[in-house]
Amino acid sequence: MLPGPLDFSDTISSMASAPTSKYNSHSLENESIKRTSRDGVNWDLSEAVPRLPGETRVADKEVIYICPFNGPIKGRVYITNYRLYLRSLETLSSHWHFEADACVFQDSALILDVPLGVISRIEKMGGATSRGENSYGLDITCKDMRNLRFALKQEGHSRRDMFEILTRHAFPLAHSLPIFAFLNEEKFNVDGWLVYNPVEEYRRQGLPNHHWRITFINKCYELCDTYPSLLVVPYRASDEDLRRVATFRSRNRIPVLSWIHPENKTVIVRCSQPLVGMSGKRNKDDEKYLDVIRETNRQISKLTIYDARPNVNAVANKATGGGYESDDAYHNAELFFLDIHNIHVMRESLKKVKDIVYPNVEESHWLSSLESTHWLEHIKLVLTGAIQVADKVSSGKSSVLVHCSDGWDRTAQLTSLAMLMLDSFYRSIEGFEILVQKEWISFGHKFASRIGHGDKNHADADRSPIFLQFIDCVWQMSKQFPTAFEFNEQFLITILDHLYSCRFGTFLYNCESARERQKVTERTVSLWSLINSNKDKFKNPFYTKEINRVLYPVASMRHLELWVNYYIRWNPRIKQQQPNPVEQRYLELLALRDEYIKRLEELQLANSAKLSDPSTSPSSPSQMMPHVQTHF
Amino acid sequence: MMFFFLFSVSGNASTPEFKKKKNSECLLRLRHEGLLNSCPAGVASCPASSCPFRSPRSPRLKLLESALLLGPRPTAGGMEFSELIRTGRAQAELLRGPGAPPLRGTLCVTGHHLLLSPGPQATSDLWLLLLRSVDSIEKRVAGDSGTITLRCKDLRVLQLDIEGVEATLDIARSIEALSSLESVITSFPFFYRPKGLRLGDAWHFHPPEHHYKRVARETNAWRLSEVNEDFSVCPSYPRAVIVPRAVDDDALARSARFRQGGRFPVLSYHHAPSGTVLLRSSQPLTGPQKRRCAEDEELLRAVLAGARPGARGFIVDTRSAQAAKQARMTGGGTEAKAAYPGWKRLHRPMERGRPLQESFVRLVEACGDLEQSMDRWLSRLEGCRWLAHVKEALSTACLAAQGMEREGACILVHGAEGTDSTLLVTSLAQLILDPLSRTMTGFQELVEREWIQAGHPFQLRCAHSAFSHARPKHEAPTFLLFLDCVWQLGRQFPLSLEFGEGLLLALFEHAYASPFGTFLCNSEKERCLCEVRTRTHSLWSGLNQPKEQRKLRNPLYVLNPLAIWPSVEPQSLRLWQGLFLRWTRPPEPSEAAWEKVWQIVTDKEKTEGSQPTVSASEPQP
Repeated sequence: MLPGPLDFSDTISSMASAPTSKYNSHSLENESIKRTSRDGVNWDLSEAVPRLPGETRVADKEVIYICPFNGPIKGRVYITNYRLYLRSLETLSSHWHFEADACVFQDSALILDVPLGVISRIEKMGGATSRGENSYGLDITCKDMRNLRFALKQEGHSRRDMFEILTRHAFPLAHSLPIFAFLNEEKFNVDGWLVYNPVEEYRRQGLPNHHWRITFINKCYELCDTYPSLLVVPYRASDEDLRRVATFRSRNRIPVLSWIHPENKTVIVRCSQPLVGMSGKRNKDDEKYLDVIRETNRQISKLTIYDARPNVNAVANKATGGGYESDDAYHNAELFFLDIHNIHVMRESLKKVKDIVYPNVEESHWLSSLESTHWLEHIKLVLTGAIQVADKVSSGKSSVLVHCSDGWDRTAQLTSLAMLMLDSFYRSIEGFEILVQKEWISFGHKFASRIGHGDKNHADADRSPIFLQFIDCVWQMSKQFPTAFEFNEQFLITILDHLYSCRFGTFLYNCESARERQKVTERTVSLWSLINSNKDKFKNPFYTKEINRVLYPVASMRHLELWVNYYIRWNPRIKQQQPNPVEQRYLELLALRDEYIKRLEELQLANSAKLSDPSTSPSSPSQMMPHVQTHF
Repeated sequence: MMFFFLFSVSGNASTPEFKKKKNSECLLRLRHEGLLNSCPAGVASCPASSCPFRSPRSPRLKLLESALLLGPRPTAGGMEFSELIRTGRAQAELLRGPGAPPLRGTLCVTGHHLLLSPGPQATSDLWLLLLRSVDSIEKRVAGDSGTITLRCKDLRVLQLDIEGVEATLDIARSIEALSSLESVITSFPFFYRPKGLRLGDAWHFHPPEHHYKRVARETNAWRLSEVNEDFSVCPSYPRAVIVPRAVDDDALARSARFRQGGRFPVLSYHHAPSGTVLLRSSQPLTGPQKRRCAEDEELLRAVLAGARPGARGFIVDTRSAQAAKQARMTGGGTEAKAAYPGWKRLHRPMERGRPLQESFVRLVEACGDLEQSMDRWLSRLEGCRWLAHVKEALSTACLAAQGMEREGACILVHGAEGTDSTLLVTSLAQLILDPLSRTMTGFQELVEREWIQAGHPFQLRCAHSAFSHARPKHEAPTFLLFLDCVWQLGRQFPLSLEFGEGLLLALFEHAYASPFGTFLCNSEKERCLCEVRTRTHSLWSGLNQPKEQRKLRNPLYVLNPLAIWPSVEPQSLRLWQGLFLRWTRPPEPSEAAWEKVWQIVTDKEKTEGSQPTVSASEPQP
């Protein structure tokens, strides 16, 4: 039995002083299972809603949640400045046990836990004249592949109130309210903002060296306002050269180093398109600059340029002043187009994916419907492009320059995926965080525009799932190389959940200069704090550390698959069925599995400790194939 | 897989001294048995200079040849293999697809094998192919050389570039003739005598009595009947079957006459938690006159009575209602409602026979078509309908399992003959419900009991795989479909099966072509006539050798005492890449990953004191 309407005003003060650790560990993920087990002990019904430090209650209301899988369920919805939380008032006699992340039956009550940041659109459905059961209410479109529908009573302005409250807190920018990340008072025992230090990361790569130097020319973001303050450029290019090159590159995004091969000393360089225009303008400084980059590598007489766009798009860009490096002007460069489409194509493709997976999954022609979304085809092209970059740098022994139009979407995808293939460091949890922090966040992928944090303009043409697509590619790689990555699927899903949640400052704003102005690192918590303080949960038990192994995933359509555990995770039918009577035992089994996996991990740690023992040289072949010792 | 066993023969002789000693021993033995008068490979014309057998420089080949031919001389049926071999050998280059380097050497056709012996200075091993595993052969000649493309039953495609037009044509003809021999008793299993295995071992691992003992521990409503002792009641059943205690052998014989092929309802599985049973049979021969059979009705009544008073039953017919009705015109039919009180019929149409084989062929074609533009891959995969068959099979099995576990009902499964889709459903339902059948031995027992002894006609169904140009007669990949469904279960429940993909792949290979006798013939009766049990080795004894375990077992297995209910939505089913794309993808990642997982797990076991499952996989000194 649940009590009637809850009075929150009493509990707020006690909540605020509650030990922060209590909710530190809570996140969007399967925490709910642990919560269930904790319930028996200290779950106080007056605290029916989990709350983060700094999270305040705004309202609650009785609604009917129109669950697409179980039908209408009466429940109470609690709205805070961070989340929408629904607990059903009826207990369910459902055959389905599901724990699809934030949607859980807890003691047979349905729980919905949705950060307001994932809401992209709120619509009223039905009007005053609406007839029919549950036809009057709110329809909420989310950024994470689901919609929520609530039916409300027509009388008493209850819908108007809820609509206004939700709109206010889901879209704080339009109401001059702060994004929740700035209110979040969570404390973690590690500080995720310290994970990425550009100087350290470049030092790890062996930079600066004879050919490459670190420059502070962009210290105050004067050279390029969307680049980080610290850049690595050819030793032989002076700051004056850089300024002149900047005039010829879209948004001043000059070619700078992303990664250097530890042995070949070949490099991956990123930039934006050259401003060639219709008249076919040339710029001697830019041409010379690219030649200087080429000369840092003496093994091959050409510099390889990968233009991520389809050829026709690159040509079309000339009309708006852009373009690509022509053979005439750049004698010592080879240009290839990678045929990856723009942000609008990707957005429409993902929209089609959502159409076939939510609320109902396409049954009869699943594969051809999936094909018609072209989502996997785009994944294939991105991966193929990255493989080419990695292969050129590693086997082709040629330096590579990557750009698209502005160099912050497709370019980031290509450089970061190629780096993931080439450098095993980025396949560890911290390494991957550094990769995201470096290639995406610091180099100005426009997270604010692409995701639309706190912004009500759901139809904004700037929105696009470019980062999601990158994470999908990483997932595809982790499927093909199950032991190569330190992190598991949950790690990737957590990153995506908090891409939208606005609980952390990590993905806020479009570039480093804006983040600095807003003092994001001082005023918000980093997502990496959450992850690194509870790393076990995100570890792949089969991870085997390998040095110097280049991963070449198979980017054929036969080997790519839809990431069902992410895109269709809300649908209980995709999960294996577990009948009601054995739920409890299944939970036990899950715990057993966790314990088992943990034991594996410990032993693996012990194993790796053994291997790093000074008596065996760390780079000896025995580390690469220790089974040789045990097997024969 | 099979090559592994063969190589193990020569693989043991790794030290030079041992090799020498072994060699001379073999030769002596061969002379003694009179096998060395002519080339033991059965090669008709053997130019001494190039014959590796006579060449002192290829002791390995000699050794291998001798190992292959230890056993009775292949003259059964009055046929000499040498008559079918046109040319013994030629110089050739073998291309084994992406990832594997080409192999050059002397090619040699023997009675059962194709051998490629690399030159004396070569570092690589002998390459060996069981001729029986060749599904189709294609030859082309140009200039003074030729090319033979071999498409194997395990879906591999091999290309041989051979010097000499005549040699090419002769070798092609020899392979054609030898790979399509139909006689069972001249097949390789009757000559295969691997070291370390004894004839007769493991053939008695899984007798019906063994299964009955388990059932008898749980209930006394059933008995073991030997009514089929001489295979006269039902030629496709084993000697002993489990039947309701209340029904005597005479009634069984009469019920058998009312069922197609004599396959009267017998027990397949007793589900102890619910006290219900899973039965299988063939269709009743009601015919257009709607005949009835009192003994058959009595048998099913006794089943319900044996479960518990008032128990209900479901008959899962694997044909559509209409197809079942049409079957009456040809003498078959379904159980009439009035005649079988307490039993309710459900129709779950499942594809079988030719449509299934065609689906398999289309899928393999699509998977092997590397030129085709891949943007249509998904719709092509859908067009093959293979995954739709997987879904059908799994959901029908779920239905049967649900009926027992949740409804507490007895289940009888049959289609028409009861030797294909029926077995698919009963065996999958057991995997879902029965934790024992998910263990290594339990699964082998399940395959032995529900497929081999239950009379799935392996010889007819697996005569050809997906490449044969011959018009399919009785071929159908029912057993492969079963293995695919098991793989899907393993993917959805990665910790619940004690065996891994390796075992499923091995079973697929051996079902189509094997040096072991386990999958020979169509029924127990035929196996008896051919003396398969006494004259060939059992696959199970081959697979259960310690050295095989690491490839076959699932290192992550933990006993899951619950039923495993799979999701059968199309989004949850995957193409079995490990099988269908096995030879076209770089094999590295998944096998290396498997090896690493093993490593992690065995390290764990070592520190904690080994468990039996893993100690079995430890290398033997």
